[in-house]
Amino acid sequence: MLNIDNLHVRVAGREILKGLTLRVDAGEVHAIMGPNGAGKSTLGNVLAGREGYEVTHGGVAYNGRNLLDLEPEQRAAEGVFLAFQYPVEIPGVNNTYFLKAALNAQRKHRGEAELDSMQFLKLVREKLRVLHISDELLHRAVNAGFSGGEKKRNEIFQMALLEPRLAILDETDSGLDIDALKMVADGVNAMRDAQRAFVVITHYQRLLDYIVPDFVHVMVDGRIVESGDKSLALKLEEHGYAWIAERQVPHQSRAGAV
Amino acid sequence: MDAAALDELLGGTAQEREESWRYSRAALRALTQQAFVAADAAAPLPAALLERFEWPETRGRRLVFVNGALCTPRSDATQLAADFAHDATLNLPAGSTLHIVYVNVPGNEPARWQARCEIRVEAGTATIIEQHVGAPGADVFGALASQVRIGADADLLAVTIGDLPDSVSLLRRQQAVVQAGARYRTTHALGGGRLQRFDIGCELAAANARCEMRGVFALRARQHLDIALDVRHAARDSASDVLWRGVADQRARGILRGAITVAPGADGADAQLQTKNLLLSPHAEIDAQPVLEIYADEVKASHGATVGQLDERALFYLRSRGIDAAAARALLIAGFCREAFGGVTDERLRARLDAWLTACLPLAGDAT
Repeated sequence: MLNIDNLHVRVAGREILKGLTLRVDAGEVHAIMGPNGAGKSTLGNVLAGREGYEVTHGGVAYNGRNLLDLEPEQRAAEGVFLAFQYPVEIPGVNNTYFLKAALNAQRKHRGEAELDSMQFLKLVREKLRVLHISDELLHRAVNAGFSGGEKKRNEIFQMALLEPRLAILDETDSGLDIDALKMVADGVNAMRDAQRAFVVITHYQRLLDYIVPDFVHVMVDGRIVESGDKSLALKLEEHGYAWIAERQVPHQSRAGAV
Repeated sequence: MDAAALDELLGGTAQEREESWRYSRAALRALTQQAFVAADAAAPLPAALLERFEWPETRGRRLVFVNGALCTPRSDATQLAADFAHDATLNLPAGSTLHIVYVNVPGNEPARWQARCEIRVEAGTATIIEQHVGAPGADVFGALASQVRIGADADLLAVTIGDLPDSVSLLRRQQAVVQAGARYRTTHALGGGRLQRFDIGCELAAANARCEMRGVFALRARQHLDIALDVRHAARDSASDVLWRGVADQRARGILRGAITVAPGADGADAQLQTKNLLLSPHAEIDAQPVLEIYADEVKASHGATVGQLDERALFYLRSRGIDAAAARALLIAGFCREAFGGVTDERLRARLDAWLTACLPLAGDAT
């Protein structure tokens, strides 16, 4: 599904990703861990198509297409979703209106019929029920005045509604209490299936108690330096990142090759 | 147009205009180089115009002015129409709503009109919706002077919606006097026009008088709008809370000069003025200038003015959810403006304001 090959990315003239290689297949959950400044969020932003990220080398294939050629909205319509580390507050834009516009824009792009208000609300209610979210968030402006936890819930709710093929969660667990963390995990677990893949970027092993990954990768200084199964996360928890930082960067870290 | 006619229209002399018309002098000169005839008050109204103001929710409560003159056949608030015909004064009873429409209809050559009106609310809460519309064609240049008097403990909610064609110029001078414990709540939605100039004066004349003003202007093409606010705190514990949002695209020009004065003796006054503006094109211009003058003690006052561009992070957020760049911009601009509509809780009126936004919003992202 996703094939990142020797990706080099510069941000504001500084190289952040320095040869990142990762392969994610449908049905898989990959966790990416690593210390601050390793380039984890850069990876999420590059995949979603944020401006200001200059790819100097390497490439990203998504379902056989060059992902980097697509506009952010085309990527979304093709099934790429980024749950933001810092969801943006948009005063004056109603959350429900925004979600309906987003969903219908994606459906239109895919040649599917747009949903009318009744159909949309039915879908919204269904998703709210699964996620145990109150509909109160829907009546407010997008993320405006939301607490940190509410913003993250809103990200997961958007994910549930938009049903992406590839969801990238950028530190969605940071700043969450245990209940909110479980809600995020439930949201992901409810969507896990053979057609869908997740890339979960996180600092802490804690989230991975609830979202059990198929693969864990450790990212240091713009590269993946270690890949393994879920036990790798536990090892990191125990020893910290120091031991891994000393490791030699594998010549080819083919993700998934455990 | 000769100097005397212009002074009459603008209500002052060229000398008096010198400073406050600083940003609009050239636009005024260009407009008034033409010769103007008196506008035809009996001009027939095109059906397309009627549709824009004959709202079902204000049936029976409407006054229609055509090129500044009361149009009796179209005005179905019959009692108020009779009162107005008598002395140009409208006394709004408690609980009433009035929809007052100023229609600009062009003739074969540039035409001008002028009108005046006094609005009074003595008790209770009244609502007034003031609408400015026009048909495209030859230039129409209107001048409207209004007085608003809000008696002790009364409450006036005033909503102004203006969406004018690029051939209409409008000068409005409004002076409100708010008495003890009274409230004056206004929401302005201003767009279109060739040259628009609004002098909005509000005197908080007695203790605990309050003024809450919200406004949006949305300009494109070569539209030019100049707003001069003059809020005066003349008494103790009076409060003003002013918030404007401005958007300018293409080669449009918006000016907002917000003056707040707290007079000697108006202790305990609370004066807030905030204006936020969005520039959507490198050729558009917005001048925002808050002016605060305080001569009293224990006053709470703050003001702020910003002029910026669309938030790239918000734009990316919307696009990352599948909304294309043009639609995302439109959504953000509408959201930015809509924040100033929070004071209007009536759902039908909110829908009218939303429709105004859709009609007026600059097409951001247009190659300009």
